[in-house]
Amino acid sequence: MPILTLALKDLRLLLRDPRSAVILLFMPVLLILVLKQSLGDGFGEKPDNRLRISVVNLDRGLPPRPGRTFPTKPWSEVVLDDLSGSSDIRLELITDRDEAERLIERGRRPAVIVFGPDFSERMDRTSFLSKAEPPPVNPLDRNGVRFDRLDLLLLKDPTQPVTASVIEQVTQVSLLRVTVPWMIGRAFQRVGDPAFMDYVATKLRNEPVPPAVLAELDPVMQKLLDALLKDPEFQLMMLKAVGPKDAFTIGNRTKEFRQVMGEAFRNKALMTRVGKEIHLGEMLSPAVRDEVGPKVKEGVKDLFSNYNFESTTWADLTRDLSRDVNESNRSTFTDSSGQGLLKLGSADYQVLVPQNMVLFAFFLVLTLGWLFVAERKHGTLVRLRAAPLGRGQLLVGKLIPCFGVSLLQAFTLLVVGRLLLKMTWGPEPWLLVPVVVCTSVAAVGLAMLVASVARTETQVAVFGTLLILLLGGVSGSLMPRELMPEPMKRFSLITPQAWALDAYSQVLNTPHPSVSLVSEACLVLLAFGFGFLLLAWWRLDLE
Amino acid sequence: MIGAMHDAILDVRDVHKRFGNTTALAGVSLEVQPGELFGLLGPNGAGKTTLISILCGLSDADAGEVRLFGTRFTRADRGQRRLVGIGTQDLSIYPDLTARENLRFFGKLYGMRGADLESRIDELLAGVGLMERAQDRAGTFSGGMKRRLNLAAAIVHRPRLLVLDEPTTGVDPQSRNLIFEQVQALNAAGVTVIYTSHYMEEVEKLCTRIAVLDHGKLLACDTLPHLLKMLDATIRFTLTNDATGFMERVQALLGVKAATTDERGYKLVVEDIARVLAKLAALCRDCGTELATVSTREPSLERVFLHLTGRALRD
Repeated sequence: MPILTLALKDLRLLLRDPRSAVILLFMPVLLILVLKQSLGDGFGEKPDNRLRISVVNLDRGLPPRPGRTFPTKPWSEVVLDDLSGSSDIRLELITDRDEAERLIERGRRPAVIVFGPDFSERMDRTSFLSKAEPPPVNPLDRNGVRFDRLDLLLLKDPTQPVTASVIEQVTQVSLLRVTVPWMIGRAFQRVGDPAFMDYVATKLRNEPVPPAVLAELDPVMQKLLDALLKDPEFQLMMLKAVGPKDAFTIGNRTKEFRQVMGEAFRNKALMTRVGKEIHLGEMLSPAVRDEVGPKVKEGVKDLFSNYNFESTTWADLTRDLSRDVNESNRSTFTDSSGQGLLKLGSADYQVLVPQNMVLFAFFLVLTLGWLFVAERKHGTLVRLRAAPLGRGQLLVGKLIPCFGVSLLQAFTLLVVGRLLLKMTWGPEPWLLVPVVVCTSVAAVGLAMLVASVARTETQVAVFGTLLILLLGGVSGSLMPRELMPEPMKRFSLITPQAWALDAYSQVLNTPHPSVSLVSEACLVLLAFGFGFLLLAWWRLDLE
Repeated sequence: MIGAMHDAILDVRDVHKRFGNTTALAGVSLEVQPGELFGLLGPNGAGKTTLISILCGLSDADAGEVRLFGTRFTRADRGQRRLVGIGTQDLSIYPDLTARENLRFFGKLYGMRGADLESRIDELLAGVGLMERAQDRAGTFSGGMKRRLNLAAAIVHRPRLLVLDEPTTGVDPQSRNLIFEQVQALNAAGVTVIYTSHYMEEVEKLCTRIAVLDHGKLLACDTLPHLLKMLDATIRFTLTNDATGFMERVQALLGVKAATTDERGYKLVVEDIARVLAKLAALCRDCGTELATVSTREPSLERVFLHLTGRALRD
């Protein structure tokens, strides 16, 4: 009963002390609102070290075409697959262009890629050809890929040029990885095919055969004559055609004939004259084209064997493994900026509210310290010590109202956050209860420790405030914890505040809060709390 | 000094207490009988507050024994502490609680509840003249009103032994009288009171027995008349004209312990000023002279204190 009497008395004193009410309830709300306004939008979103590329995809896709094997999806999706294959990039899909323009206008996104409705159709027509049906699109220039020729638009915030340029260059690289193999593959299909060989033959048709070419034909002709004249079938054909006598004569004079032919082929003037009416294209006869075309293609393949020019993707072109498409790198944009002057419903409150809940929970150090100092100052500690009270009863009697105030403070801030600031309590709101309770235990423990050693209001104010600010700075309850570098985040776990913040983050900002992580944080907070209380018990000086 | 009695409400036996190198109490022994209003005097640093702390269970003696109501008393003895009330030298009330809330809190702390507590609070508020301000916060009270409330808080649980450490410091005459009345009424009701004060006249007026403490030692402990007997009264006078053999006859007067002369005239050390003065007047007439000037000096507690400690109470 004396514990309850003490507790109720302190609770009454706390409630009558406007200083406590201001510190414990009004200040956190005020600080939340001030920080929200001063830090701007966006810092409350899920922290991510990856480069965020925001995309509006208006691409209508490809018209159906029988036999198409690639791509089997809109070209914009091929580009997005390539982008999402980079683990350091995350894609944010924005559903409409107006929203994208608003985000750019408000400086909330440095750049947004907009795939126009004709992107796939344009991509499909990209080619090295200058003429074709349908008309080819040449997307390349000295800078890489020209977005406008592909019905692609990059909205950029002029106030964030560096990040916008990074996003632009990343997009360029992806587009090159998609367009270049497609264009090379399509071009290489043409190398050596009949149409191509016809085209070559046509180009050669009006050119007279150079004498040197005819001179180089002599060995062929010699081989051909030699083989023919020795061939029994040819000899029989000759015998039938010219009779035995002439056949014998021709056979006997072959040697001289071949010599004359050789001389003639080597006679440049003669060859120029007799070759005037022979065109090079005639020598590239259809059969020759059929023979040469595939060999040309094979020759190019052999010559550039490190590359597959028949490919359609960059991986195939470079004979490498395909880039993994990472669907988890994609998310749909949801507007978390909130509404109105206070940005009600902003995701930032999901960070700011717990951050200040934790920060101000530990301001109990001041409140409890002042309660103890007030007992000394008003001389009532002497009367309490003279009363039939044990040291433990005195401690617990002081602890209970502070614990109650801490719970009241935390739940009030959660309710204010929910009702006034339109924050959410996460998918598992019940998990907030153990987090609040365990945070309060840790805060009350630390408060009791400070109260046990501080003897004056100045000591409470100086030591208490310094301690709170120091722990707040280390733990990340003064600034968003997500902004801290990873080593510092790990180091900060020496503070109870850091564990509390992690627990709140898990409950409030995770789609599927891990009960085991929350439990671990709660146990650590309890350990902190009871550890502090033991130290306070040891240090408490009531003299 | 009154000898040891078996029914002493408080029996302090050879109590020692040190704080570092400072000796606060060096073998103090005293007894307080039930119903006594016991005065404790001593200059600053004499050890009064240390002794009171031990008597109230705020600290333990390093050596020696304190027996309260016949039982050995230590800090851990919560049952005994219920029987003691303490009126601290500094105020011990909550300025942000009302007078009634203060008394209710301290009453509950000692286990009082319900109608008994509320009637006790009413009784005390009326007794210390704070009934009209019962619902006001103590922080708004004058110094005297706070002192009265402080006294009420000390006795709300009906202690059998009340220790008052300078309860009238800085209070107005009205409050002082109210406090006196309360203390006397309590004592009359059977409450044993240990009273310390800087004001000798308060102790002289209230206390039946007085202990003088200095440098941690008990210098004297007795009733006021007995203490006063430690010092003699003096009579100083001059004569209108010298008379032969006057000095020898004065020395022979009954009740005169010593007679001397100096440039200021005659000085007599006597037991009873009034009796000696009558005889002195008759002697003057017999010797054919008259008293030109007469001044007397009675022994006082203050002089006793000065005599015992060598310094004034407020030094």
